Amino acid sequence: MIEPRVPALPRPMAQRKDESTGRRTPHFLCRGVVALLMLAVFELLAGCMSGPAPRAAIAYTGDPIVDGNAELAAAPPKDRVLWDDRIAATALRVGNFDEAKTKLDDAILQVGGIINNTADAAKARSLFHPEETKTFIGEPYERVMDYYYRAILYWRDGQPDNARACYRTGQLIDSDAETHEYQSDYVLLDYLDGLASAKLGEDSSDALARAQALTKRRLPPYNPDANVLVFAEYGQGPRKYAGGEYGEQLRFYTEPSRIHSARLIVDDRRIPLPPYDDLNFQATTRGGRVMDYILGNKAVFKRTTNTVGDVALIGAAAAANNGSRDSDRAAVGLAAIGLISKIASAATTPQADVRTWDNLPQYLSFAALKLSPGEHPVRLEFLTRDGEVASELTRELTINVSPDASTNNVVFLSELTR
Amino acid sequence: MNIIHRFFVLSSFTATTAAFFAGCANQGVQNPSGVPVTQMNADEQGFVAGTGVESQDLVTVTDKMARSILGTPAIASATTPPRIVIDPVENATRFPINKDLFSDRIRIMLNSKSAGRVVFLARDRMKTLERERELKQTGQVTSSYDPTPVAFKGADYFLTGKLEGLTTKTSAGTSDYILYSFQLIDARTSEIVWEDSAEIKKQGLEDAAYR
Repeated sequence: MIEPRVPALPRPMAQRKDESTGRRTPHFLCRGVVALLMLAVFELLAGCMSGPAPRAAIAYTGDPIVDGNAELAAAPPKDRVLWDDRIAATALRVGNFDEAKTKLDDAILQVGGIINNTADAAKARSLFHPEETKTFIGEPYERVMDYYYRAILYWRDGQPDNARACYRTGQLIDSDAETHEYQSDYVLLDYLDGLASAKLGEDSSDALARAQALTKRRLPPYNPDANVLVFAEYGQGPRKYAGGEYGEQLRFYTEPSRIHSARLIVDDRRIPLPPYDDLNFQATTRGGRVMDYILGNKAVFKRTTNTVGDVALIGAAAAANNGSRDSDRAAVGLAAIGLISKIASAATTPQADVRTWDNLPQYLSFAALKLSPGEHPVRLEFLTRDGEVASELTRELTINVSPDASTNNVVFLSELTR
Repeated sequence: MNIIHRFFVLSSFTATTAAFFAGCANQGVQNPSGVPVTQMNADEQGFVAGTGVESQDLVTVTDKMARSILGTPAIASATTPPRIVIDPVENATRFPINKDLFSDRIRIMLNSKSAGRVVFLARDRMKTLERERELKQTGQVTSSYDPTPVAFKGADYFLTGKLEGLTTKTSAGTSDYILYSFQLIDARTSEIVWEDSAEIKKQGLEDAAYR
């Protein structure tokens, strides 16, 4: 943020005779009153912008789930979903599916509702509170991932219809994009919606057609007999930062992933895991938010009051140097306007909310395959953009396929470790 | 003191102006506070509300279905209480839900209100029941009856249902319509002997801070 240059205040003037009383006006008193007024305004604004309560110290253990829960316990309620999200992603990666389910259900309770008439949201829209005052539910790409991850757990629990419900809500959340081209454009959400329908014995052709229309990559046809569902993810997802003169613009930092694809080698078969969806793309193609408009107005107010303050203080300085009685009065008035404008400008907080679900992946992938019941040793390989195997990331795993033909054996694979 | 007086007047004016302009950040945004979720034919809703399936819908729908089933001739005119097996409800909406809540509450309502006119079979407990029968048959546990013949009852009817939804989302808000349909199917003939439905529509618009 660029700090405005504040012009010098009028130099202290010598005492002058007041015509009405015949007494000399004590100018040091004027200065004292100005100082007191400024102090009072600062106190008032400080009260409006009281900072967060001091956070309890956290004794980190090195266990990401334990530490995440400690962070969640110490976090203000407005950040609860943020920590739920982070812990859930970590829990999925370490195979703690019960923990992931608990956290995602808690997050979806907030994310899935319609939030209105809440005090923190109203504050976030006001001039003197930053956007991050509001309860975090994330940007659309973050909310979509709540549902995407929860759907994986529904598949594990043998509830493809609830998984499908998650995909449908995810696609609806993504319909917020400003440009039609980028609305509801997650390939996997439509593709997996159709897979769930196929598993339920219903028509899935429409969902498959929608998914195919969203990608140039040829999507594999559904195999209702597939009993192993592989969900893979790789690369680092988007991060938020604040841009613009006053940090009023929400922007995304995206770093192209070194890993551009993956594959699973099982029973001498190579199962490709291409990048069907890119969260960096999703984050950066949403377009403008209504909140951006509000933050823009806040920035305009901040800039205008700052300019008014500058002009008034310069005018006060000029008037004070004039030497006449009327000029003195004008100088005091302009100084008051200038000071209050500067204070109002300083107190205005147009900063965009940059709280980020910071352990999301960049790419999402999926494959469905049919394997015989029993244990299957598999090798997971991640490939660079050039098609080279990133050998340091290669993993040897075992997939245990249930003898129950109706069971969907879910395998979750992530390049990210926490 | 005249200057000080004017100073205060000007200060007050400026402060009032600043307070007035404080509302400018929301200028041009329609419904900055959002519109509360409006629910048709509902009892009460909490602070965190959505347009999806909520507890009040569950109560409304299952109450209606239980009353309706008891009035159907297949149940009301049966000489012996028909045996019913509940097939899990299918969720075809966009809202992930605990589907068992619907079938469980209908079963509870029917059992408590029907005075024995219907009997439900615990098919969802078959593994436990089969294990118990096996223990009795092999003499590992005592039995007050002969465990050899098959005594598990077959179903006369299957009770099942489906939730389907239709969603509209525009800049004016989100609207969700959900159709709850339930059927009683004759296990012998596959005839649908009873069917009823309930429909609920909700709409709302979130706070501008989330748009």
